[in-house]
Amino acid sequence: MKLRLAPYFIRQAIQNVRKNWLVHVVGVSTMVISFLIFGTFLLLFYNLDSWIHGWGDTLSMSIYLEDGIDRGTRGKLVSLIREIPGAHIERTITKKQAFIDLKRALGREASVLEGLPRNPLPASIEVAFHPSGGEKPDPEKLRKKLEAFTGVAEVQYSEEWLNRFEGLMKVFRLAGLIIGGLLGLGVLFIVTNTIKLTIYSRQEEIEIMKLVGATDWFVKTPFLLEGSMQGIVSGMLSVLVLYSGYLILSVKKADIFGFALLDFVFIPNSYTLTIFVVSVALGLLGSFIALGRFFRL
Amino acid sequence: MIQLFHLFKNFGANVALQDINLRVRKGEFVFVTGPSGAGKTTLLRLMFGAEKPTSGHILINGINLNRIGRKKLDLLRRKVGFVFQDFKLLTGRTVFENVALALEVRGERPSYVRKKAHLALRSVGLAKKEQSYPLQLSGGEQQRVAIARAIVNDPLVLLADEPTGNLDPDLTREIMLLFRTIHMKGTTVVVATHSRELLQETAQRQVILNRGRLIGEK
Repeated sequence: MKLRLAPYFIRQAIQNVRKNWLVHVVGVSTMVISFLIFGTFLLLFYNLDSWIHGWGDTLSMSIYLEDGIDRGTRGKLVSLIREIPGAHIERTITKKQAFIDLKRALGREASVLEGLPRNPLPASIEVAFHPSGGEKPDPEKLRKKLEAFTGVAEVQYSEEWLNRFEGLMKVFRLAGLIIGGLLGLGVLFIVTNTIKLTIYSRQEEIEIMKLVGATDWFVKTPFLLEGSMQGIVSGMLSVLVLYSGYLILSVKKADIFGFALLDFVFIPNSYTLTIFVVSVALGLLGSFIALGRFFRL
Repeated sequence: MIQLFHLFKNFGANVALQDINLRVRKGEFVFVTGPSGAGKTTLLRLMFGAEKPTSGHILINGINLNRIGRKKLDLLRRKVGFVFQDFKLLTGRTVFENVALALEVRGERPSYVRKKAHLALRSVGLAKKEQSYPLQLSGGEQQRVAIARAIVNDPLVLLADEPTGNLDPDLTREIMLLFRTIHMKGTTVVVATHSRELLQETAQRQVILNRGRLIGEK
């Protein structure tokens, strides 16, 4: 194909868009809405994933001690904990302190504890693990090791519930793929029909072009450009609206869902680029499908 | 230039053309004549590659239309001009743009397109109406635009299907004069018409069709 035809094709594509501007406005709007739905989902997923992984990076462990553990055994346990790479004793809680903490947590309902014959709560040691040298400790191994120690009643660690979150994230990821796939099909359907309408509006022109010796590609190229242009505009608008929405929401985050407690960030550049590329690709693919069905001259 | 061998064309159960054998030499001017429904338009559409024959062969400048693909057919059409009874002009484009289209599809340079389209329009006497739109012109002028578009590529063959069918006798003469001028420059011209008046005024070769059969020549 001759390069000097490029201005002609671009001119034709712009003329097509101008002639059928309403169809294109509807098409672009629908595409933007679809990508916004997907983009919002991506934004939530990315942030949830970041939070969960952020929490998971700092493993915390509660070591509950048996009642009546002697000072010597307790000292040996503390030494054992300190030998573990990255382990740091955050807090040592006595039985009495644990009871006070519980009472404080129960507030007005604290009276239920008054009838107890003795303090049922165990003393405990809270340990945090900061990964040393990039290595993350194996919490299950540590739990077994510590539980085997005389005087230790039970060990619980934060990743137990984080693992449950991981399961939820897998479901979330699958739902994202399904939603994304369905939205993608919807977008493809919209672009195909938009281009089909513009082809129908230029049917006579196409026929005459073929009669004077235009090749199929000569006729098809402006329509392919038209679909790509729809994809480019939709992709840019989607990212722009998504970012604007993010900026507005992040300013007011203190009032919304308590997000201020968490670091709510925008999706990375690679994700925005993906939205843009997928939008252009769907625009182009939609045009291909519309043209493939139409060309029977 | 044009050779037809045992050409048959059916549309479903309807037989449009039966066993047509015809040879048109290079630089010849031929009228294809006969009553309405004789198969004149079908014959020209087959020569143009707009229809495929049911059987038989069509050779244009030595190229067998049965044996070429779509792309080669597109390229061949650039060497064959076609003038339609209903002009087939783009009403949303100017006269100049309509003529230029035949050059643009070839990927010609804009400067060349401007020069050639202007020359073609001048040759049909419409140089001053380049920026008009087809619907602002008379029927005769519209047909001249269609002729300018058909000859702008300097075709080897010019096919015209009832080119004067919608025109009054004065305009008919004007258009026929244009075809003769084009023929004088060496182009092979085939004109399909059922107009007896037109045929009485000419001494050119006439091929007569009736009910899809070639029944004679004058």
